[in-house]
Amino acid sequence: MKKSLIAASIVATFALTSLTTEANASYQWQDTLDQAKGQTVYFNAWGGADNINDYIQWAADRIKEEYDVTLVHVKLTDTSDAVNRVLAEKAAGKDDNGSIDLIWLNGENFRAMKDNNLLFGPFSQALPNYLHYVDENARQSLTQDFGTPVDGMESPWGMAQVIFMYDTATLSSPPKSMAELLNFAKAHPGRITYPEPPQFLGSTFLKQALYELTSYRQALSQPADSVNFDTVTAPLWAYLDKLHKVAWRDGQTFPSSAEEMMRLLDDQEIDIALSFDISAASVQIDKGNLPDTVRSYVFTNGTIGNTHFLAIPYNSSATAGAQVVANFMLSPEAQIKKQNPTVWGDLSVLSYAKLPADEQAKFNALPRGIATLSIEELGQTLPEPHSSWVGALETEWRKRYAQ
Amino acid sequence: MPLKHAKWITGIITLLLIFPIVIGLVGTLLPAFAYFPPLGEYTVSLAPWRNLLSQGEFYASLKLTLITGIVAPLLALWLALSLLAWGYQRPFFRKIEALLSPILAIPHAAIAIGLLFLLSPSGWLVRLFSPWLTGFDRPPNWITVQDPYGISLILALVIKEMPYLLFVMLATMKSIKARESLQVGQTLGYSRFTLWRKVLIPQLYPIIRLPIFIVIAFSLTVVDLALVIGPNTPSTLAVTLLRWFNDPDLTMRLMASAGAISLMLVIVLVLASWEVAHLLFRQLTRAERSNGKRFGLTDNILRLGVVLGLFTLLNAFVALALLPIWSLARRWRFPDALPSQWTWDNIERATPLLMKLTTNTLTIAFIATLMACVISLVMLETKRHNMTDANSSKPHVFDWLIYVPILLPQIGFLFGLHVLLIYLNLNGDLDAIIALHLMYVLPYVYLTLKGPYLSYEEEYLQQANRLSHRPWRNYFMVKIAMLKPALFTAFAIGFSVSIAQYLPTLIAGEGRYSTLTTEAVAQAASGDRKQVGSMAMLQAFFPIMVFWLAQFIPPRWTRWRLKLKQVFHIGLIKKDKTC
Repeated sequence: MKKSLIAASIVATFALTSLTTEANASYQWQDTLDQAKGQTVYFNAWGGADNINDYIQWAADRIKEEYDVTLVHVKLTDTSDAVNRVLAEKAAGKDDNGSIDLIWLNGENFRAMKDNNLLFGPFSQALPNYLHYVDENARQSLTQDFGTPVDGMESPWGMAQVIFMYDTATLSSPPKSMAELLNFAKAHPGRITYPEPPQFLGSTFLKQALYELTSYRQALSQPADSVNFDTVTAPLWAYLDKLHKVAWRDGQTFPSSAEEMMRLLDDQEIDIALSFDISAASVQIDKGNLPDTVRSYVFTNGTIGNTHFLAIPYNSSATAGAQVVANFMLSPEAQIKKQNPTVWGDLSVLSYAKLPADEQAKFNALPRGIATLSIEELGQTLPEPHSSWVGALETEWRKRYAQ
Repeated sequence: MPLKHAKWITGIITLLLIFPIVIGLVGTLLPAFAYFPPLGEYTVSLAPWRNLLSQGEFYASLKLTLITGIVAPLLALWLALSLLAWGYQRPFFRKIEALLSPILAIPHAAIAIGLLFLLSPSGWLVRLFSPWLTGFDRPPNWITVQDPYGISLILALVIKEMPYLLFVMLATMKSIKARESLQVGQTLGYSRFTLWRKVLIPQLYPIIRLPIFIVIAFSLTVVDLALVIGPNTPSTLAVTLLRWFNDPDLTMRLMASAGAISLMLVIVLVLASWEVAHLLFRQLTRAERSNGKRFGLTDNILRLGVVLGLFTLLNAFVALALLPIWSLARRWRFPDALPSQWTWDNIERATPLLMKLTTNTLTIAFIATLMACVISLVMLETKRHNMTDANSSKPHVFDWLIYVPILLPQIGFLFGLHVLLIYLNLNGDLDAIIALHLMYVLPYVYLTLKGPYLSYEEEYLQQANRLSHRPWRNYFMVKIAMLKPALFTAFAIGFSVSIAQYLPTLIAGEGRYSTLTTEAVAQAASGDRKQVGSMAMLQAFFPIMVFWLAQFIPPRWTRWRLKLKQVFHIGLIKKDKTC
């Protein structure tokens, strides 16, 4: 009842003229703020990185102080744990008072939850900070999460892009395309690898390679089963067959994550590591996990980037509190802090042009880590293929290389 | 125990155990046949099985699982028996025994990470010899860990399982009167190894059959160890299943459930074949065992086992010793054998966590283990009654039921159970966590107590009751007091089992209760050896302490108690005098 009311009111809001919308929205929002007071929001988010955990703790303190909402970070090793839990609750018929109020997710997990009606919403497009600072036209990934329409069911949190890392002490000019990467591997056997799909970075590597190698680029924005998968992906498998012969540990085993790749880079087992976190190199140098001669770079023709989001499960008992949190996470204050490379270094989702001058100045004043690329240096962002490609590529990869 | 309705209590506890097991099984079985209402699947069909059987990865994973899951327990058993035969009752062996508890106490993931660092091409062994001997400026492109044959995984499994088997065997030595047999055998001129082979091991085996089964089931279903040090193209079946269960495509869950059921069947089949193999083996060796020869060529098998066993133990200790070094390292690159820069930062960062998590961890572990001890005592008392009353040693259904949770793969089973907890509105509760821990702690505690409790000389208690009929007091002051070492050991084992639980804590607590282990595994997700090193140390600290106390307290207890009494008496006398 409550849900349908909110949904109805949001629909109504959009139907009205812009002036009334503003007034209505702020009236609505005051309601949400009042409801949220005293609520506890269980935020299920991956807990594998200290700096991100610290950032969430900072946000929790700020939110408590400002809105009287208690944010509890439930540290996950895998986002699918949270998806599983919501599913188990649905299985048991627990349609309210669910254990999760907010999830950090994107791509396939979002699609799975959205398709199975496990999400609350739409809510994001009515958040004040979203209305003020987000420009939906700035990036396709703000409205299309791996090709799945967002439809207000999740609120953007940050942006990521694939970057590569190398040690300038051992390597002078790193390979800047998939073709160069293969040549490099042939010249230096055993020094190139990538994470094992279905780890998301591994799947992203496959998508990046597919994007560069296939001659049917436009097919990638279609669902994978609506095109001739074999024809589109043939060059990818031919490429990987050659790469694996000269890859790290003969392509018999693959690292499990970006973190493991950085460890292997530090151990000098491999020459190139990749990450979805543009400030990963700076953060790890600071922690003593990489030598300070490591630098980041991107491929000449661009690398894949995407947006990550916050979503509210359908059975959350603190939807108001969760919206307050999502809104705070979209505030200039939170986004500036998040983009600080020594804090997290995650790219802001706000539109620079929509910000007031003093907030723009704060963004300009952000320091950069010694190994972090600037927005200009990051260059062109390639769009994620339709989310159905992830599963299709992973299945085919495991069929070919994991048996 | 002067308990009146022991049978009733046993019945109720048995029912309480059956209930979650059945629900957990049904919760896995139904999705395996495509019945899964939350995804809108209401028709029973064989589609998940067809899907499963058409997956090439299923067969490849299964093959790997069978290899690692059978070879590892075989090796562990062989090495444990060899070490026991070689060292039992020798003075230096006591020291090795004392060293076993740290290995028992340390979580699997930590051992795997330590081992990975020891053996990988950029690992400590290669560093030790580079570049002065090997000439390597950079690590070689070898496959020494995560090898496709699972050899490194087998090694890790043996390292974890051999100490456990050895521990269990040492505890049963008294009940098979090993010392007496050895003395008699040796006066008859049998060599030590031959004596073990022909006389003691055949007696020992039936008693340790269950621990061996547990070890086999563990090898076939382990997840965290296989994730870290096992191969990944393909991985073992348990890891593959975990991936399927966690797949964002939720319908994969149906196929995964079918996979979980097949894994259960595999466990049953392997255990059955193991028993058949044992029977055959016994038949084949019967003639040799009774041929009266005092020596035999096959003694060398045990001798080789001793060498390999010691080598495995050495590996374990080096791997464990390396972890604390990591927690103090700032920079430690190939080919440095020791860190080039040191720091306290890693430890400092981990300290606040310790404060926060210790309470949760200790509360859960203490309550669950204490309950497990009490339940085990009640169950064993009933069992003892049955044995004396009916003169039959037919095992109570409880004896088998209790092991079901640890013999089942956690992945599928716990999902079914989670649904039950939500129905009962117990999810996310501390009670639920403790209950789930109890399910996993109870079997180990029961198993450890069973031998000593049932072989207790009941005469002592009867005599005490004849002298003064205070059954409860005598039960505690005589019987329990005499069983102190066994009770302490059982407590220590149960405690460390509880501390190491990851999935049950996560599922029952819904992530709202963090323990040292859930935190450590979450940290291990980052693969950061420094953090893992610090966390593993913290995580291992309490179990090691409890194990140490379990060995330290019992022999001194009486002395302390008497001393205390004396002090108290002197105090009283003095008081009298001053009056």
